[in-house]
Amino acid sequence: MSDGLWHSSSSWCRCDMLTRRRNKTAILCFTMVAAVLIGQAIISVSTAEAELANTTSSTGELQALIDQAHPGERIRVPSGVYEGSLILSKKITLEAETEGSVSIVNANPNTRSVIHIAADDVKISGIQIINESPSKIPALLITGDRTVVENMNIQTASQGIVLEDANDGQFRSNIIQWSDSAADRAVKLFDKGNGIDLYNSHRNIIRDNTIQRVHDGIYMENSDDNRLTFNVIEHSRYGIHSMYSKGAVIQNNQGNFNYTGAMIMASREVELTGNVFRKQSENVNSQGILIFQVQDSLFKDNKVIGNRVGLYLEQSENNRMENNEIANNFIGIQLLGARDNLITGNTLSGNVTETLAQDSANNSLDRNYWDSFQGIDTDGDGISNIAYAINPFFQGLIKERPAFQLFFQSPSMVFLEGLYQADQNTWTSDEEPLMVPLTSDQTSGQKASSTASGLIGAALLILTLSILQWARRRE
Amino acid sequence: MVNDAVHIAVREMKMGFRNPWSYSFMGLFGLFMLCLLLINNGGYVEGYSSITGTMLNLILYLLPLMTLMLGAFSLTGDKEDGSWELLSSYPLRTLSFILGKFAGLAVVLFVLVSFGFGLSAVMGWITGRGLDAHTYILLYGYSISLALMFLAVSFLIGTVAVNRWQALTVAVAVWFFAIIAWSPLLIAVLGMMPYGWIKPSISVFTLFNPAELSRIFAVVKLGGGSVLGPQYYDWVRWIRQPMGSAGYIIAILVWVGASTGLTHWLWERGRAR
Repeated sequence: MSDGLWHSSSSWCRCDMLTRRRNKTAILCFTMVAAVLIGQAIISVSTAEAELANTTSSTGELQALIDQAHPGERIRVPSGVYEGSLILSKKITLEAETEGSVSIVNANPNTRSVIHIAADDVKISGIQIINESPSKIPALLITGDRTVVENMNIQTASQGIVLEDANDGQFRSNIIQWSDSAADRAVKLFDKGNGIDLYNSHRNIIRDNTIQRVHDGIYMENSDDNRLTFNVIEHSRYGIHSMYSKGAVIQNNQGNFNYTGAMIMASREVELTGNVFRKQSENVNSQGILIFQVQDSLFKDNKVIGNRVGLYLEQSENNRMENNEIANNFIGIQLLGARDNLITGNTLSGNVTETLAQDSANNSLDRNYWDSFQGIDTDGDGISNIAYAINPFFQGLIKERPAFQLFFQSPSMVFLEGLYQADQNTWTSDEEPLMVPLTSDQTSGQKASSTASGLIGAALLILTLSILQWARRRE
Repeated sequence: MVNDAVHIAVREMKMGFRNPWSYSFMGLFGLFMLCLLLINNGGYVEGYSSITGTMLNLILYLLPLMTLMLGAFSLTGDKEDGSWELLSSYPLRTLSFILGKFAGLAVVLFVLVSFGFGLSAVMGWITGRGLDAHTYILLYGYSISLALMFLAVSFLIGTVAVNRWQALTVAVAVWFFAIIAWSPLLIAVLGMMPYGWIKPSISVFTLFNPAELSRIFAVVKLGGGSVLGPQYYDWVRWIRQPMGSAGYIIAILVWVGASTGLTHWLWERGRAR
C-alpha cells in the first residue's frame, strides 16, 4: 500500500522525462539522418539530463518563501521536486498544494537534516521527504514544541523523524520507510536509523503511523508521558523501544516480523494495552514483548502470537500482566528474576512450551489458562484444585550452558524434565489455574483451508491401498 | 545383479505385507496420527507450534522403534528359518540380497507411514482440523527420512544379532539410547568437559544420531530455528536455505550407504566362512 503511494507520487516526473526524451530522439532522427549512431546516443542522453534538471528545482526559492512569511501564515507548496534542505524557524503551516505531489530530496551529507523544525507551533503535512544522505541525518528534525506532522511520506536512508527536546507534538498518519534505493545497498539492520526517535521529548501523541524496515520503529529515551496508538511497525529491529522513560501509553499498536515487538527497558509506569505482536520469531533474540528492569507498569489485553518468546520478563517488579492472549509462540512466557508481579487472567495456548521460569517464585501467578495443563475442578467454580507448577530444569540448564538449548523440547529433554522434581516449593506456580480461557475468541488459530493437505493425503491413501492390492494379488 | 535385487525386493515386500506385525504397526501409526489430530483443537496448524512440536516428538517415539523391529526381525528371520542358507547356495551376490531387502522394507515402511499420514490428512480435511500443506509435507518427509535412517540402523542390528530375541533386545536398547537417554547422557558427559567443547561436541554427536539430526532439521524447516539459541545461529541459517535440504539428503544417503555397506561387509564375511 505504502509502496504504491511512493511510486505514484514520484512517477510523473519520470514519465514526463521519458516522453520528452522520446520526442527529442525522434526529431533528431528526422533532422539528422546522416548522424552517426554513437553521436546520436550522446546527444539524446545529454538532452534528457537537461530536461530532468528543469523539472527539479532547488529548495532555495521555497526557503525564501518561508523566510518571508509572517508568523501564523499558511504556505502551500506547489507540486514539484525540490532538492536541498529547509529550516522552519517560525510558527507557520507548510503543506503540499496537492497531497503527495511535493517531494523534497536531499543527498547532501553536510546538512543537519532535510527539514528542520526549529520553532514552536509549526504544522507540516502532505509532503514527501526523500532522504538519500548516507550519513545519519534525520529526514525531519524537530526541536520546537507543539509541532503537528501529518500525512507525510518519508523515505529515508538514515533517520526518519527525530525529536530533540520537543514536547506536546502530534504525529499522525505518516509513512516512514527505509528508502527503496538505499535498500539496494544491503545495509545491515543495525546500521539503519530509527523511524521516530524521541530524546528528552515529552507528552507527544504518535498515532496511525506506518513504519517499515528501519532500526527501531519508535524509540523513546528519557521521554515521558508519550502516547503511542494505532501504529503499525514491521520488518524492523524493535517495533517500539522505550529506554529510561516513564508514563508511556502504548495502545492498539501492531508489530509484525520485527526482531522484537515491544522492548520496554529501564522504564516505569508504562501502560501497554491492546497491542498485537505477531511473528517476531526469526532472530535468536526475538520476543513479542520484552520487559527488562521495568516497574509499576500495566500490560493488558495484548495479543502475542507466533513469536519466539511471547512475553519475556526479567528483573522487573510490581507490574501487572492481565488478560493477554499468548498463543502459538515457541515459548509462551519466560520469567527471569522477576518479583512481585501480578500475572493473571492470561490465556496461554498452542505454545511449544508454555513457560520457562527461574528465580521468579515471588510473583502472584494465579488464575491463568494453560492449555497443556489438565486441571481437576471438583467444586465446579472454573478453577482447578491442583496447581500448575513450572519446571525450572531446562531454564536452569541453558542459563549455565546455552549450548544445551539444542535439546529444546526434544523427547529426551521432556523425559529428563519429568524426572527432575526437586524443591517443588521453590518453583514458580499457578495455584489456581483456570479451566477455560477468559478470552475465548479464536484469533490465534489461523483459520485457513486444509484442502491442499487433504488432497495430498487422499492421494497418499490411494497410492498406499493400490500398492497393498498389487502386493496381495502377486501372492 | 539388478534383477536379483528386484526379485529379493519383491519377495521382501510380499513377506512384509503378509507379516501381521506390519499391519499392527500400520494400524497403530494410523490410530496415533488420528489421536494427534484430535488433540489439535485449535484448528488449522502452520509452522512450529505446540501441535507440530508434539507431532515431531510422538513420531520420534513410535516410528524408529517400529522400523528397528521390522528391519532387524526381517534379517534375523532369514537367518533363523534357513532362507539365507538356501539363497546363498545360488549364484546370488550378497549386495543384491542386502539392497533388495532394503528396498523391499523401505516400500513397506513407505506404505505404513503414507497410510497414517493419508488417513489423518483426509480426516483432518473432513473435520476441519487439518495442517497447512507445507507443514504437512515437511512432517511427512521427516517421517520418511527418519524411517530410512533407522532402517539402515536396523540392518546392522539384524546382522549382529543371532536370533529375533537378541534383535529385539538390541533394537530396544538402541531406541532407548537414541531417543530417551540421548540428552541426559550428553549433559552428563559434556557437563564435565570445558565449556568451549560443549557446542562442537554436541554438533558432531548429533550427526551420529539420526533421531536428533532429523528432529533439528524439521524444527528449523518449520521456522523454529531461533529457539535453539544464539549458539547455533549459523547452523540454523544454513539449514534454512535450499542447500540445507540438499545437505540433509546427503546426510541420509551417507547414513544409508555407510550402514548398508557395513552390513554387506559383515554378511560377506559370514558367507565366506
